[in-house]
Amino acid sequence: MVWGPALGMKQLHASGAPKEGQMRLSQRGRSRTAVGAAELTLKNVNLTFGGITVLEEVSLHVEAGQIFGLVGPNGAGKTSLFNCISGHYVPSSGSILLGDVETLGLAGDRLSLMGLARTFQHPALQLRLTVLENVVLGAHSSLPGGPLAWALRLPFTVRAERAAREEARALLERFGLGSVADSPADELSPGLHKTIELCRALISHPRVLLLDEPAAGLSHAEVEAFIASIGQVRADFDLTIVIVEHHMGLISAVTDRVLVLNNGRTLMEGTASEAQSDPRVVEAYLGREEPTDESA
Amino acid sequence: MKNFIANTKVRGLALAAIAVFLIVAPLVSSPFMNYQLSLVAVYAVAILGLNIVMGYAGQVSLGQSAFLGLGAYVAAYGILNDWPIVLVFVLSCLIPALVGMLVALFAVRLRGIALAMVTISLPIIGVPLAKRFSEFTGGSQGTTVSWLDAPDWSGLASDQWRYYIVFAIAVVLFIFGRNLTKGRIGRAFGIVRTNEAVAMSMGISSYRYKVLAFTVASMFGGAAGFLYIGIVQYTSPETMSFHNSINMVVAMVIGGSASIIGTVLGAAYFVFLPAISGQIDPTQTALISGVVLLVILFLLPHGLVSLPRRLIQLIARARQKLNRAENAGPEDAGPAQNETGPVSAHTTTDVSESHPESPSKNT
Repeated sequence: MVWGPALGMKQLHASGAPKEGQMRLSQRGRSRTAVGAAELTLKNVNLTFGGITVLEEVSLHVEAGQIFGLVGPNGAGKTSLFNCISGHYVPSSGSILLGDVETLGLAGDRLSLMGLARTFQHPALQLRLTVLENVVLGAHSSLPGGPLAWALRLPFTVRAERAAREEARALLERFGLGSVADSPADELSPGLHKTIELCRALISHPRVLLLDEPAAGLSHAEVEAFIASIGQVRADFDLTIVIVEHHMGLISAVTDRVLVLNNGRTLMEGTASEAQSDPRVVEAYLGREEPTDESA
Repeated sequence: MKNFIANTKVRGLALAAIAVFLIVAPLVSSPFMNYQLSLVAVYAVAILGLNIVMGYAGQVSLGQSAFLGLGAYVAAYGILNDWPIVLVFVLSCLIPALVGMLVALFAVRLRGIALAMVTISLPIIGVPLAKRFSEFTGGSQGTTVSWLDAPDWSGLASDQWRYYIVFAIAVVLFIFGRNLTKGRIGRAFGIVRTNEAVAMSMGISSYRYKVLAFTVASMFGGAAGFLYIGIVQYTSPETMSFHNSINMVVAMVIGGSASIIGTVLGAAYFVFLPAISGQIDPTQTALISGVVLLVILFLLPHGLVSLPRRLIQLIARARQKLNRAENAGPEDAGPAQNETGPVSAHTTTDVSESHPESPSKNT
């Protein structure tokens, strides 16, 4: 059983506070060699639960560094597709490539090491722990040492833990949460929980970041702030971002391309404005115009 | 007040005071009291294991007594056969750990009641097995060993000597346990307990960490068995028995789940409550224990360890009430006894105390 990465690797970059635009994985010297935004390619992904087909032959390609939107009416399969990418569902067939690594068939808990991170629609934080503790959890895969090393509190674990905490604090400061880093997470608003989750995902230095309905539960002002900041986040952390979202304003404001799903199939792929003017998409969202309307 | 408790200096002083107490106590108390205190250390180790798997990692285990008993049998067998004592200790830890791991490899795929059933079966199987293999275990009569007498140079009585040995080992094990429940591994246990989907996204295999938690728990159980043989010098199938497991779970909850200090408090409860209630009325021991259990659970649902927090909360509430009564002014007359609405805006209670529920991480 492999509990953690091999010992004796270089430590987390010890400087602690990463400079913007330089937050790379390179210094971490893990089994991970590839760094920076990665491509994401899905080929003919099928997902069935029992006899029910949830996804049928879905393919998509996200260029490295793109912000890609998954949209579609309720029940279209957006979240299912998202969960396939993140490893929470296992597709019945198809191929999912992260960079050039096939992730289908890998255990879900290996994907973090491959450079995949995600947030959840309902932020799944440990509310009794501090904000900082919640963020440091995201560094699990990049912290060295197994249970014995941590039980004995070997010096390299102590150093790694300190570095991870400093990095988490720097991340929280980057997102304006530095002052509440040591408060219990449940003292913060749901909107800020989303930010904490984002930090928890970013601390693992992902190559592809999956955001599950980042605008759900946010106030109008918070959505505006999110739209204003996401492009900078992508640039600073060198990410490919995939977003599932109902909020069409957000999707058209931030995405480079979108995939529209309906009934588990690809309806179209293109830019957000193309999608919004596509009659098939309008039909999927609003239903077919009744013939009687035409005659009227 | 909260800051007072969190203050590292205060903590350091408290730790030093406890250390002095633990060192001096056996020199001034009776052999029986030393025996009882040593038993607290023994059960604290066993309950620490239980707390790691149940409190921290959130996996129900009702089989801890089986590992305690197994460790005790291994220790007794090794001592009777004059094996080197270090080897005996290591085997007392490793054999139960191995058994725990083997069971966990299959059992942790289950959850909730099904997992509880599997773990419950361990003591139920263990007791007749211990009776069956009487050449190792001494059968129903059990095994008696006579060892760990104080050497002459120490100038100590045997009960004092045993106390120090057992406490030293227990303290070291507690340091390991505490380290394990913090940092990388502790955080992984926590997220496996609260949300396995998130754990997976963080690169944490719930399965592996559950197996790890069970293995560590059984190892601590085995270590406690070794210490048990050191103090009690006797073990029988009764040590494994199921009610011992249940009592340890009760003690863990009473002390404080997912808390190191709570573990110690739970062990003290485990050892002293039967003794104290026996002194109050020997015929009503069970009844008194039950009443105490219920009272603690009602007043302190998070265990004895939450007592300071609970007190702060009550004080803050009382202060708020007082403030409200003062600010109500004379024309409003009468104290605000029926006021049940939300806290009025002009209450001046300290913000840090107006969130009495805000939990601080227990250690």
